[in-house]
Amino acid sequence: MSETLITLERVCKLYQVGEENFTALNDVSLEVGNGAFMSFVGPSGSGKTTLLNLIGGLDRPTTGSVLFKGRRLENMSREELAAYRRENIGFIFQTYNLLPVYSVYENVLFPLILNGQKESQVRKRVEEMVAKVGLADQMNKKPAQLSGGQCQRVAIARALVKDPMLILADEPTANLDSENSRQILELMQELNHEYKAAVIFSTHDERVTRYIRREVRLEDGSISWDKRRNGTEIET
Amino acid sequence: MRDKARFLFPFTVVAVGVALVVALVGFMEGVFMGMIDMTANLDSGHLRLVNKAFYDEEHLRPLDRSLANQQETHDWLVKHSSMQVDWAPRIRWGAILDVPDEKGETRSQTPVMGMAMDLKSPNSREIERLRLKSSLVEGDLPKGFNEMLMGVQLAEVLGISVGQSVTLMGQSFDGGMVADNYQVSGLVRFGVSAMDKKMVLIDLVDAQNTFYMEDMVTDWLGYFPPSTDLDDYEELKESMRTGLADWIPHPKDWAKDDAPIILSIRDQQNIGAIMDKFRVIKGFVVGIFTFLMVLVLWNAGILSGIHRYGEMGLRLAFGEPHWRLILTLAIEGLWIGFLGSVAGSLVGGSFAWYLQEVGLNMGDSFAQSGLMINDVVRARVTTDGFVQGIVPGIFASVAGTLVASMAIFQRSEANLFRELEAG
Ligand SMILES: Nc1ncnc2c1ncn2[C@@H]1O[C@H](COP(=O)(O)OP(=O)(O)OP(=O)(O)O)[C@@H](O)[C@H]1O
Ligand SMILES: [Mg+2]
Repeated sequence: MSETLITLERVCKLYQVGEENFTALNDVSLEVGNGAFMSFVGPSGSGKTTLLNLIGGLDRPTTGSVLFKGRRLENMSREELAAYRRENIGFIFQTYNLLPVYSVYENVLFPLILNGQKESQVRKRVEEMVAKVGLADQMNKKPAQLSGGQCQRVAIARALVKDPMLILADEPTANLDSENSRQILELMQELNHEYKAAVIFSTHDERVTRYIRREVRLEDGSISWDKRRNGTEIET
Repeated sequence: MRDKARFLFPFTVVAVGVALVVALVGFMEGVFMGMIDMTANLDSGHLRLVNKAFYDEEHLRPLDRSLANQQETHDWLVKHSSMQVDWAPRIRWGAILDVPDEKGETRSQTPVMGMAMDLKSPNSREIERLRLKSSLVEGDLPKGFNEMLMGVQLAEVLGISVGQSVTLMGQSFDGGMVADNYQVSGLVRFGVSAMDKKMVLIDLVDAQNTFYMEDMVTDWLGYFPPSTDLDDYEELKESMRTGLADWIPHPKDWAKDDAPIILSIRDQQNIGAIMDKFRVIKGFVVGIFTFLMVLVLWNAGILSGIHRYGEMGLRLAFGEPHWRLILTLAIEGLWIGFLGSVAGSLVGGSFAWYLQEVGLNMGDSFAQSGLMINDVVRARVTTDGFVQGIVPGIFASVAGTLVASMAIFQRSEANLFRELEAG
């Protein structure tokens, strides 16, 4: 399957903190294939979120390059980056970030509306996605009426509904108990198979490891190892 | 999509603001235009043709500076102005009013400044113009020879009642002394103290007889239909002025040094300056309310921006460009502004309309002011008033939203993940 989806070339990210420069990512190089199911692990502050930001085109590296299917994100304008996110990336957050005033259905519809699609044309697609994550009978509820696990399912449906190439999920299970985490991960795994969208998590959660095919560990902004399910381990 | 709570507050702000502006502007228009109309109808006309020599010493009523050739002048005025304008001949006269006692001997003498106008011909619009019928509190309008209408307060001071005879003593057109008897046919109350205390009205033909002014008048007052824009007065005035220059040598009975001039209401009694000030004040009122609305809406926008911080962040993260997000908000603001303005106009407009129909009695405070202000204040509902409410309403809503969304423009995508995590 492995055509390359994301390439990181010697990526550094510095943050200016007062007078000092703080190195959040230091010389990170990495390739992510189409349809990958992988995670960034590592202690708090190791740079996981920063890395997802760069891949998602929400931020730019200080030096080095991020490539999406061979296209360099650094050459894109702010607008083009917005279009890149709109067309290719689905986001999932630790705190779900559903819109509280909208129903489940409307929350899943939301990214399609942003993409300029008409509700009448995508209604079936949205309903299908909601059913896919097992919430067909909760379609008209508001987020406040749902459990955490259900909220994260809505978020998954929302990320997948526009059929993105890549889903970025920052600690998606951190707010869930182990049973819910398990269900969410199994769901994501299943959808990764079905929809062929690559999924990149960041996580602290040891339990996640069981489901993923590749684990990249960050420490102090550098990759300390890159482990694949088939046993090969690349030390750096 | 929809969020009622988010909509309700700015909508209410706009509606209340616009309602206040519309009502206030309507009220101010009413007071001010009421005064202007009163002045125009009684005294200045919208346009006025008068001999310059008379105008310069108007307070002395120099009848020897009147204008001759009444019919010819009227024809010229009609021909050189607009069909809409009604030209009314007037004589401004001054005389001593002599009130006799039962024996026919002088009881009191008072100088009066009066006005003579066409009160008797059937097609005259003067009676309607001054609302004489409804102002009459006692007696009748002049119908017979040498009859007089008198302000009710003046009659009270002089102890005159309807039917009594008085004598006018003054100077004739050619400088001689004249004395003529009039009968007080009725008393009028305009509700304008300045007039009720001083006003004496007689018929034009009677005045021409009394003052030996056959075929002469002191003034021609031109009246536009009620809804005419004030700027139209000026325009017509200018065009008539050019015509006037060619015409001046013609009328055969005019004196050599006669120099008739055309004035608009603006040119008289400082009314132009008052009108300009009124416009400025009105602008201030509208401006201040608009500013306050922008201020409140801006803060409301910031609050709802915080309320919607998550949504805005998501939209940006999901790839909605900044400009489109702001455009969406601006359109939202436009709608809220529009709906709020319409609602506010209806509320403020009905209030102003109520004041227009019913009036608000200001009692003695105005009565003593000596201004030509009616004691009963009426608002005036005009389309202008609505425009002055709706435009600022929409403007304030959009501007408030835009200022509030400056924050969005500065918000960088880089922190979205972390911000959203925190939320
Ligand atoms: N905007 C910023 N300015 C300065 N320093 C920053 C900024 N964003 C992140 N950092 C620093 O960069 C480092 C990496 O942050 P990052 O959020 O990527 O860590 P993380 O691995 O996601 O941690 P966690 O597991 O706690 O979420 C941290 O030390 C953080 O303090
Ligand atoms: Mg993080």
